[in-house]
Amino acid sequence: MAAVVSVEGLRKRYRRRDPWAVDGVSFALEPGQAFGLLGPNGAGKSTVVKIIAGLLHPGEGRVQLFGSDPGNPAARKDLGFAPEDPDFPKFLRAPEVLDYFASLLGLDQTERKRRIPETLAFAGLEKERRQIRQFSKGMKQRLGIAQAILGRPKLLILDEPTADLDPLGRRDVRALIDQLKTSGVAILLNSHLLSEVELVCDTVAILAKGRVLKEGTMAEVVPEGRNLEDVFVELVQANQPQHDQLPSFITDKDKL
Amino acid sequence: MNGAVAVARYTLVELSRRRILLVFFIIGALGIALIGIGLKVFSSAFSSVVITGPNGQAPDPAKLQRAFELGFVNDLIGALGFFALLIAFGIGMTVIYHDLDSGAAISIFSKPVSRAAFTVGKLAAAIVAMIAIVGVLSVEARLLMLLFGTGGLGVALWVETVAQVANAVTVMLLVMALSTWMNNIVAAIVAFVYNGVAGVVVVLHSQLIAGFLGDNQILKIGLNIAYWIVPHPLSSDVRRQIALAQYELFSSLSEPPPGSRAPTPEQIVSGIPGASGPGEILWWAFVVFLFACLVYYAVRRRQV
Repeated sequence: MAAVVSVEGLRKRYRRRDPWAVDGVSFALEPGQAFGLLGPNGAGKSTVVKIIAGLLHPGEGRVQLFGSDPGNPAARKDLGFAPEDPDFPKFLRAPEVLDYFASLLGLDQTERKRRIPETLAFAGLEKERRQIRQFSKGMKQRLGIAQAILGRPKLLILDEPTADLDPLGRRDVRALIDQLKTSGVAILLNSHLLSEVELVCDTVAILAKGRVLKEGTMAEVVPEGRNLEDVFVELVQANQPQHDQLPSFITDKDKL
Repeated sequence: MNGAVAVARYTLVELSRRRILLVFFIIGALGIALIGIGLKVFSSAFSSVVITGPNGQAPDPAKLQRAFELGFVNDLIGALGFFALLIAFGIGMTVIYHDLDSGAAISIFSKPVSRAAFTVGKLAAAIVAMIAIVGVLSVEARLLMLLFGTGGLGVALWVETVAQVANAVTVMLLVMALSTWMNNIVAAIVAFVYNGVAGVVVVLHSQLIAGFLGDNQILKIGLNIAYWIVPHPLSSDVRRQIALAQYELFSSLSEPPPGSRAPTPEQIVSGIPGASGPGEILWWAFVVFLFACLVYYAVRRRQV
C-alpha cells in the first residue's frame, strides 16, 4: 500500500546557528493508520507536521505527501490540517471562513451548500453569527477541526486538537478520529494527552530535542502492564535535563 | 486562479468590515465635504469685494469667477490626494499583515493554494478596494465641483483622479511589501518617510529641469540618479492649467515696471509638474510591478 506520508532523515533548523529543531526523523503513514507524535514542549513535533503540511521548508532529508513534495499545492488537495492554536481572518464569520476554505479546496457550489452547514453543525457553530475576532479559543479550535475535515481529506493532521476543548468536545474528536480511521483516512495526531493517544493511535513515535527516542506500534512501545505515560516520562527524563526543583519561595514554610 | 479569486473575494469582505478603513473613509468624505462647502461659503462672502489692480483697473468678472473656480478645484484635488494617501496606508497596513502575523496563514497555506495565487488575490483585493474608496471620494469631489464649477477642466480632472489613484496604489504596495517583512506600523512609518523623500527628490528634479538650480554637474548627476530610483508621482496637466489661468488673470491687472521683462507663461509653469509622459507611466508600471514582486517574494519565503 502506498504511503500517505513518508518522512526520511528529516532535519530542520530555523537559523544557521540554531540547534536542530528536528534531527533525523523518519516514519511513514499508511491509509487508515493513526500515528501519534509525542514529545515534551520544544521536541519538534509541530515543526514536523508543519513541514508535512507544506508550511515550512525541510532543511535536509525527504518528505513526501501523497507521493509529491508538500510545497506543491496539488499535493495538499487531500490534506486536512487542524493547527495548534488555530486562527482565521478575524473579520469573517464561521460560515464565511468555511466557504472561503471550500473555495480554496475547489469545491463546487452544490458541495459547499451540502458540506458547510453539516460541518458547522458538527463543530457546534451552526448558530454562531459573531465574527472570528469575538470567538473564544475553544470555538476557534472547533472551527479549526471543521475546516480540516471540510475537504473530506485522506490525511488528517491534528496538532493538539483537544487542548482548548471541553470534555464533550474531546469525546466528539475521538469519535471523529475513529470514524475517519474506519473509512481509510490516515490520522497524524500530535498531542500531550497521552491517554487520548493511547486510545486512538495504532503507532507512536516519541520525540525529544528533535530526535525520535522510540517508535513502533502501541504494543511495541508500551510493554504489558505499563501505560504510555510511564514509558513517555521514563524516556524523556533520561534524555533531557529535569526542571523539577520548586522555587524556594514556594517551599520555604517560614514565609507562609 | 480559483484560489486567487477566493482570496480576493474574502479579503474584500474583510476590508469592508475593518474599522480603520471605515474611519479613514468617513474622515475623507467629511473632509472633502467640509473643504468644498467652506470654500463655497468663503468665495460667496468675498464675491462682493471689488478687486482692482495697482492702476485701479477692475478684472473681467468672468476671469475672476474662473480664478475662484480654479482655486477651489486646486484645493479639492489636494484634499483628494491627501485622503487617497490616507486610505492607501490604511489598506496597505491591514490587507496582508494580519493574515501572515496571525495563525490565519497556517490554515490558508495548508490548503491547495499556491503562494503566488494568495499574493495575486491580496493585491487584486487591495487595488479594487483602493479604486472603490477613492472613486467614491472623487465622485463626491466632482459633485461639489458641479455646485461651484470646474473651471473648464472637466476631462483633465478625471485624468488627475486616475493619477491620484495610481500614486496611492504605489504607496499602498510599498506599505504592503514592507508589512510582510516588519510590523505594520513600522512599515507605514518607513513608507511615509520614503514617500516624503521621493516627493522632495521629484520636486528638486523638476526645479533642475526648469533651470532653477543652476548648472552644477554633480548636483545634476546626483539628482538624476536619485530621480530614477524613486517612484514618480503621476499627474495630469491640471495644476499647470490652474497656474496659467491664475497668472493670466493677475497679470492683466498690473503692468510690469518699465524696463523689466515679465516672465513668459512657459517660464511660470515650468517648475510645476505637467502631464506625465509615457516614460513616467512606464516607470510607474515598473515600480508597481517591482513592489508586487517584493510582496510575492516575502510571502513565498514566509515560514508560518
